[in-house]
Amino acid sequence: MKKTLLSVFALLMVLSLVLSACGGAEAPVAEEPAAEAPAVVEEAPVEEAPVVEEAAAEEPADPNSLPRNETLYFNGQQWGSVVGWNPYSSNNNNALAIAQQDSARVPMFETPYLYNMLDGQVYPLLADGPYEWNDARTEITFKINPAAHWNDGTPVTAEDVAYTWASHVKYNTPTGSGNVDYIDDIVAADDMTVVIKAKLGEDGAALNPLIVAAYVSTNYVIQKAWTEALEARVGDDATAFMADAAEDVVYSGPYGKYFADDSKVVYIRDDNYWGQDVSMWGKLPAPKYLAHTIFKDNAAGTTALQAGEVDVSQQFNSNVQDFWLKEGLPISTYLPEAPYGIGASLPTAFYNLESPGLDQPAVRKAIAMAVDYPTIIANAMTNQSATFDQVPRSLMNPTPGEQALYDHAAVADLQFAGNDVEGAKALLDEAGIVDTDGDGWREYNGENLSYVATCPNGWSDWQASIEVVAAAGAEIGIDITTNYPEWSVYQTVVTKSDAPLPEGYDIFMMWSDGAGPTQPWSRIRKLMSSEFNGMASNWNGNWGQYENADADVLIKAIPTETDEAKLNEMYTELVSIYLTDVPSFTLMYRPQSFHTVNESVWTNFPYEGDGTNPPVPPLDLTDGWSIAGLYNLTLVNP
Amino acid sequence: MKHMLKSIFRSGKFVAGFAIFAAILLGVLIYPIFVPDPPLKIIAQGTFFEPGIYVSVYDSLSAPTHILNLDEASTKRITSKLSEDDRVAIQKWLVGAGIPEAEIDLANTEQLLEQWFSNYDSTKRVAGMTNADRNYYIRLNTAVTGLLGDEGVSIAVVNPDTGVLEEIGTVLATDYVNVGEVANVRVLPLGTDNFGRDVLTELVAATRVSLQIGLVAGIIATLIGLILGLVSGYIGGFVDDAIMFITNLFTVIPSFVLLILISFSIGQDKRGPFMVAMVIGFTSWVWTARAVRSQVISLRNRDHVNLSKLSGHSITHIILADILPYIASYVVMALILQISSGILAEAGLSILGLGPRTTDMPTLGLMMQWAMIYQAHILGKWWAYFPVIITIAMITFSMNLMNTGLDQVFNPALRE
Repeated sequence: MKKTLLSVFALLMVLSLVLSACGGAEAPVAEEPAAEAPAVVEEAPVEEAPVVEEAAAEEPADPNSLPRNETLYFNGQQWGSVVGWNPYSSNNNNALAIAQQDSARVPMFETPYLYNMLDGQVYPLLADGPYEWNDARTEITFKINPAAHWNDGTPVTAEDVAYTWASHVKYNTPTGSGNVDYIDDIVAADDMTVVIKAKLGEDGAALNPLIVAAYVSTNYVIQKAWTEALEARVGDDATAFMADAAEDVVYSGPYGKYFADDSKVVYIRDDNYWGQDVSMWGKLPAPKYLAHTIFKDNAAGTTALQAGEVDVSQQFNSNVQDFWLKEGLPISTYLPEAPYGIGASLPTAFYNLESPGLDQPAVRKAIAMAVDYPTIIANAMTNQSATFDQVPRSLMNPTPGEQALYDHAAVADLQFAGNDVEGAKALLDEAGIVDTDGDGWREYNGENLSYVATCPNGWSDWQASIEVVAAAGAEIGIDITTNYPEWSVYQTVVTKSDAPLPEGYDIFMMWSDGAGPTQPWSRIRKLMSSEFNGMASNWNGNWGQYENADADVLIKAIPTETDEAKLNEMYTELVSIYLTDVPSFTLMYRPQSFHTVNESVWTNFPYEGDGTNPPVPPLDLTDGWSIAGLYNLTLVNP
Repeated sequence: MKHMLKSIFRSGKFVAGFAIFAAILLGVLIYPIFVPDPPLKIIAQGTFFEPGIYVSVYDSLSAPTHILNLDEASTKRITSKLSEDDRVAIQKWLVGAGIPEAEIDLANTEQLLEQWFSNYDSTKRVAGMTNADRNYYIRLNTAVTGLLGDEGVSIAVVNPDTGVLEEIGTVLATDYVNVGEVANVRVLPLGTDNFGRDVLTELVAATRVSLQIGLVAGIIATLIGLILGLVSGYIGGFVDDAIMFITNLFTVIPSFVLLILISFSIGQDKRGPFMVAMVIGFTSWVWTARAVRSQVISLRNRDHVNLSKLSGHSITHIILADILPYIASYVVMALILQISSGILAEAGLSILGLGPRTTDMPTLGLMMQWAMIYQAHILGKWWAYFPVIITIAMITFSMNLMNTGLDQVFNPALRE
């Protein structure tokens, strides 16, 4: 009897260990969609967000059984439980509420302007009318919409904007440290008028007008009174200031906290929202609740989407067309055919420029030319990317706005669409990098060219891409093997730019910027600028530590240039340098957010040619101008 | 010896197990002769192609055509493009567009399509229509366009000199090609996987590697267990205490946990199939050691052993000549079980992402891991993982059968 008990116990123990090991191994898959948001990766402290039912008296809806006809469900954004509601912090793990980015997430906190990635314009939100540069382009002025008020009823004022900036600087938040080199100050000229003063160079011109202008659509306005209350609470301690969970936060957006635990997070509409004023939307957004179930992994999220338990999916669903073609589900994407979405970012393979042989542009270009991109796009991305025949490679994303920024004909000879094994071989032969000892591998300085290609373990589409890159090496006599370290190891290695990359990181994959008000300049900077070399923790880019003085000069000059012809010339020059030196190479185009919708309950989601003007971008109805889509939603069965 | 083999092969269970195992082994050896492709070659552009026969469209066009007049042909063609559900959907659209339901005859394909073509407008939003519906009607419209025509399809090529399309042939609805006459036909009995690799070719190669892993792991584990068991059982005393102390330590720590920890600490770049086999071998010898020891203890006081001792034989000689032969049958059975558990351990490790590094060689566990990463089990792509499971099950099943068969022959208590 004892023995049986013992073996049962042992079995249970093994089982639990195996199960927990399973969980551990799968976790990276779950984090995979967050590939482009480094902030999300930070380990969330285990802190049970207290359950508060703010408006319990008049809102009897049980958060575990919300009325389906009033709730819009998301997936693919929130992994793990919410940590906090503090817009000054970058560690809230509160995906639907807080994300200050190119297209800022605005259901709860609001920015003065909304960026629209489809037309590249910004539209007023808290602001009233367009912003204006002064003649010297050193100051931006905009007005606050007089209708705008906080959820406590007090009006949004210019002083709130100014105090937000002052607090960012005072407590050195990520927003503060990221902008303080370019923005001198933000002040309230009067109650309703905000002036942003740029930092000036020695010549008296703004150092970087692009970043200054981007501030108005990428950063929230936070209430001064609440910020002061927070300061009083934490006693001016910067760490405590940013670590505060801010359950009492005051916001101006249409949704606020309703419920949060480790299984889901629910936001409820503020029916007093100022945006129903005719000067803004003229009505309230359609769903009363926004809800995000916290799924274990992508597979669980996919199953929920198929079952109609998720309306808006920000997940990479492989072979998304099977949902409607094979399963006949009422699921659709922004475009009805491949690539199904709007490509915005450029997942890229970086070379370690210190590896023997990879310091030779011929080797770098040869590998990049031989890679079978059509297979990467068809297999790893299941065709959810434009091909390099459709959108020839450059530094630009496939949106028409960016494509128009460089002279296609001038760099046509440098562009490559992949699978060019003969061309790659010829390039290597010409450079004298040949196989002299007859073992099948080419040598450089007497050593076989042998590399390790790598990306984080469990990021399935990246891993599949890296496998294809490795396969290309064998075709041209370069030995490439693959290796997949855990993300925790990988991220610390590749973001350490103050020392050469270690062995095993010869070719490695990272992301690049998507669409935004400073693009494509910011993306190019992060792919090519040497200013990040030497940083101990480099989350910006150029992880292969490339250095090119000509490129640095151009990258520095672009933000202050206003002449479009000149800009075109400069961008073309940069593309030409990039495609000649090949310090890194793009493997595919990837949407800013995946945007797959199930129309079982809600319909009228944005799609290409839906007639909205300005067009609503496919950013899950939460980011930038895409929030306009929330006001267009209707029920399938009202 | 001959008698022993005879009696072994008289055991039905052993023969059945042996037959299954031999069939798997034969398949692994013979298949590569007929399909010499490298198992990890990516042949498909796209993921998870269904099992089937893939006929080159391009080559079919130039293959000899034969005219077959089959009654069912056009009905089949229409059904494949216009199912009953599609007809109902067309009716719904037409009613939404204001056509009286009485005028729509679902069975009359010609009339239905005529009404469809004369009314359908892709920009029109019928009440209650979602974007998914809109996309569906656009696809349906493309599918049924030209469905009832009998004029054939033209084949045209671009004239390289003028750049103009020139017709070079026509394909009629009654034209057929013999699959045997098409230059390129590829049979993919188990389709392709997430990378676009031929699953069957990969499976055969993976089975071979997994068998090798099992064999190496099994031999290592059995050897260690055998040596430790023999030494500790025969010599006894302090040596026995010391060895049993270590063995007990390993017994208490579940070997799979140990396996996970060691594999993780080795790091993926150094984990080749052989390394994984060694790790498995070095963590799974415990039970063999204990069992061999207890058998040896019962043997060491037998008369023939004492005789041997009196004759002044060395310990090595006694162990090898007087003890080993008596436990040889048990050792063989233990080896078989170790091999099968080695294969299972590799599969278990690989599913956790701790198996051999990818791209070198496929293993059964790695195939399962990739199928899982790509959600084959959720998306219903059974061919990517089910054959692998069956293979693992058949290998371990056949080995366990052989083991039970041997047991029946060698174990006096079970002998019939």
